[in-house]
Amino acid sequence: MRAGARWIRADLRARRGQAVLTVLTIAGIVAALITAATLLEDGTNPWRGLFAETNGAHLWIHTKDRPQVVALRAIDGVTQASGPYRTAPVTLVQERRKAPVALRAMPVAAPEVARPVVADGGWLNPAQPDGVVVERSFARALGLRLGGSVTVTALSGARHVLYVRGIADSADQGFYPEWTPGLIWVLPEKLDKVEPELGRSEWVTGLRLDDPEATQFVSQRVVVMLDEEVQRVYTWREVRAAMELDNRLLGTLLALFGIVGLVAAVLALANAAGGRVLSQLRDLATLKSMGFTRGQLASLLLVEHGALGLLGIALGVLPGWLVTWLVLDTSSVALVPLLAIVAGTALVVLVAVGVPAWRGSRTPPIPAAPSAPPRGRLSRLARLALLVRLPPALVLGARDAFSRRVPAFLTAFGLAVPMMMITIGLGVWATLDNFLAHPEQVGQHAQLLVRPDKLTPEEAKGLAQRDPAVQQVYPGAEVDALVPGEARSIRVRAIGGSASPYPFPVVEGRMYADRGEAVAGQGLLDLLRVKIGDRVWLSVGGTPLIVRIVGRTVEPDLDGQVLSLGVDSLAAKDVVPPEFWGLALKKGADPAEVRDRLLAASGEGLEIQRVVNPAERLAVIRVVIVALVGVLALIGLANLLTASALGLRDHAYDLAVLKAMGLTPRQVMATLVTGTGLLVVVGIVIGTAVGSFVVKGLIDLQGHTSGVGAGIARPPSPLMLVVAVVAAVGAALAVALIPARRAARAQVPVTAR
Amino acid sequence: MTVLKTVNLVKIYQNKHVPVPAVRGVDLQVDEGEFVAIMGPSGSGKSTLVHMLGGLDTRTSGEIWLDGQRADTLSESAWALLRRKKIGFVFQFFNLVASMTVADNVELPALLAGASPKVARERREYLLDALSLTERVEASPAQLSGGEQQRVALARALANKPSLLLADEPTGNLDSRNTRDVLRLLGQVHRDGQTIVLVTHDARVASLADRVVSLLDGEIVDDGKIARRRPGRGGGAGEVIDLR
Repeated sequence: MRAGARWIRADLRARRGQAVLTVLTIAGIVAALITAATLLEDGTNPWRGLFAETNGAHLWIHTKDRPQVVALRAIDGVTQASGPYRTAPVTLVQERRKAPVALRAMPVAAPEVARPVVADGGWLNPAQPDGVVVERSFARALGLRLGGSVTVTALSGARHVLYVRGIADSADQGFYPEWTPGLIWVLPEKLDKVEPELGRSEWVTGLRLDDPEATQFVSQRVVVMLDEEVQRVYTWREVRAAMELDNRLLGTLLALFGIVGLVAAVLALANAAGGRVLSQLRDLATLKSMGFTRGQLASLLLVEHGALGLLGIALGVLPGWLVTWLVLDTSSVALVPLLAIVAGTALVVLVAVGVPAWRGSRTPPIPAAPSAPPRGRLSRLARLALLVRLPPALVLGARDAFSRRVPAFLTAFGLAVPMMMITIGLGVWATLDNFLAHPEQVGQHAQLLVRPDKLTPEEAKGLAQRDPAVQQVYPGAEVDALVPGEARSIRVRAIGGSASPYPFPVVEGRMYADRGEAVAGQGLLDLLRVKIGDRVWLSVGGTPLIVRIVGRTVEPDLDGQVLSLGVDSLAAKDVVPPEFWGLALKKGADPAEVRDRLLAASGEGLEIQRVVNPAERLAVIRVVIVALVGVLALIGLANLLTASALGLRDHAYDLAVLKAMGLTPRQVMATLVTGTGLLVVVGIVIGTAVGSFVVKGLIDLQGHTSGVGAGIARPPSPLMLVVAVVAAVGAALAVALIPARRAARAQVPVTAR
Repeated sequence: MTVLKTVNLVKIYQNKHVPVPAVRGVDLQVDEGEFVAIMGPSGSGKSTLVHMLGGLDTRTSGEIWLDGQRADTLSESAWALLRRKKIGFVFQFFNLVASMTVADNVELPALLAGASPKVARERREYLLDALSLTERVEASPAQLSGGEQQRVALARALANKPSLLLADEPTGNLDSRNTRDVLRLLGQVHRDGQTIVLVTHDARVASLADRVVSLLDGEIVDDGKIARRRPGRGGGAGEVIDLR
């Protein structure tokens, strides 16, 4: 034991750099995997906890009139009901910002189902009739504090001052601003004062089911029962999806990088351990001659190389946990996936170092027998190099490169895998850049949405059209449509006319050209299980809407579950006057500038919203890409160090001979660098080629599953690829150069082996 | 008392299915405190023989007895355990563990045999002092001269007070000055009662031994004790070797 410990300590000290590199590599990979798992794991999705805590409702129904709750509760599968609660739309004005709010009347006694859980302050109290409770994400987004006042404007234009008495969590809807409007609970009496007109409010009822999977069946019954009363239906799935946000995309990306990175790291580890063992065979034989048994040697090597991996795992857990905690603001890392990652990585690491350890332990104990690389004929490549009269250093290097086949393969492959991942990362980067540079390709031709607030729609349109930076103004409206036979509502977006359509980025099929035609996002096609060319029946506020889907668009909003059509395809009551105007700006115009100009021109009479580019929401991906490229570069570096150490060891004897034959130190150096450099170039070129081959498909696949739809992917530009390849090869050669230079200058005794 | 005994020891290598006999029926007996030199030209099988005696190589047939215990039937691991306690090796190319300091190299066998770090350190201090290497304790093998490396290797071989010291061309890689130093040390160790089997092709080295066994083509062709040189006939280059 002690002897082994002494040997391990000495060996680690002798190759400190390599050991540190191994630890860092594994730590980086484990951190990435943990972050990925946290992002993907439902347990960290706040929905589950909130739903359990609030005893949430599975199905939510918005109706025009107060529904018969007794009848709803009688539906098969419904166990309890919450509400109905009268809800009125108001606008909250906070520091010149306006936010849509649903003011929901709630009794003083919190309901059994879907009861908001007060996180701060207290619940509604009749002693404070102006007191309200604000949903937590909404309060945070608008900076509302306990005890502060909020001013809301009712549809009638009347202003009311309310006081925040409490902040509560709820699983009734998703988080603001991904889910609008924000939610504020008030006493019923107060709501009657703010919005006395019953016709301007709706009723919200929540149903708790005994089987969460039965939402579809129940919602159909509800729609049939309430018929035209139903405004909107949604289920717990949409709430959960809204809370998940873009974490899934990020998680998938990280998981992909993490798993492939793990494979690469394990290769690097196996390569490093194998190379080290190979270069230590003489020492190992000496140890055996001293009385180390085969088993002792195997466990010695396993412990030494495995300990580095395990240390890396331990070091990776903490940053992985910190990243998820700090950056992603999730309260906890789920224990099961964490343990699975740690155990899985540990197992993989031990297997990876176990093979070289086993091989090392089988060294014959006669230390005089050196382990020489397989000798023999010049490789075909080297003969070719001779044939075209390349300098001798290159020929010798080319011969050396492949003299040990397995390490040569491991080196090339070990560099190809990180390079492939780096190429994929660059592709994701290019796709995000493309989102930003060409918002019209993701359906964001109109960068500003203008809602006439105090002005008439025509005045608003006129103002917008007169602005020099505005290219075109499209009338638009967004309505919720019920899908018969589905448990839920979908968003219908009408913008522009059918004849002069808004330029949606149609990637499949064609653009709509007539009334009754529409285009849809991938998410909607998947949800309704329809193909392009199919007809869909929808119901918008009781009015039937029958459209034919003629094309698929790239749809970054609402998981792609959006139907887009011309305003003339909707009933006039929904689109006249238009709810908003979509402004397409001239090239190079700054949306913020136009917004300020329009606000000034209208005397603050307009409400102008900037469309958020998906790339802005996904900006954190860039950080992830940079971090992962760093980890992958470490992996490549680890492989490279192993390769050059092995190359040096194999050729230590040759060096003396080469020098004796008359090669200058420079030529000797060139020989060594060619040996590793050739493998480096092969690995990097193959990695880049495979990466750029799969990157488009991967991103499109991700787009498809996330509902955005295929057709968003952009491969990295050729220039970017060339720069990446040149940088990688250059860095690799620079790394290989240092030991080669030292070796070429050193006095190598012929007898050293 | 007999420390080592071999009975009809045979080693046949298989070289591409052609049997190549290296050792052909060697009967050898080494008593306690004896210093035996095995001499022979290159390829005479002397290294193979000494490797088999230490269990580094397996025998094809025959018997090896060590301290009255049959050793040739032992497994590789059992041989390793035996080597720890009873056999010290000195090789031609020193074979110090490159990543370890001189001190660690010498302490390693003692630690391996289960000695406490304190005992191992004391033993190391004693040995390095005896071999006048005390100043080089923290040096790495690469910083030592060949003679110094071989002295460290000798210290390492003696760390566990083995019953048998096997030396395979210990001076084969040294200049004459260092050769003299190492041989002087071997002689000293022998005078302290250490049993030594030394392989060499150098007659001057062999002259140090009590007994020279000559090997040719894997067979013992001569086995004789050397007359102790008379006192007064001092060293120098003109030593005469008498075979009796």
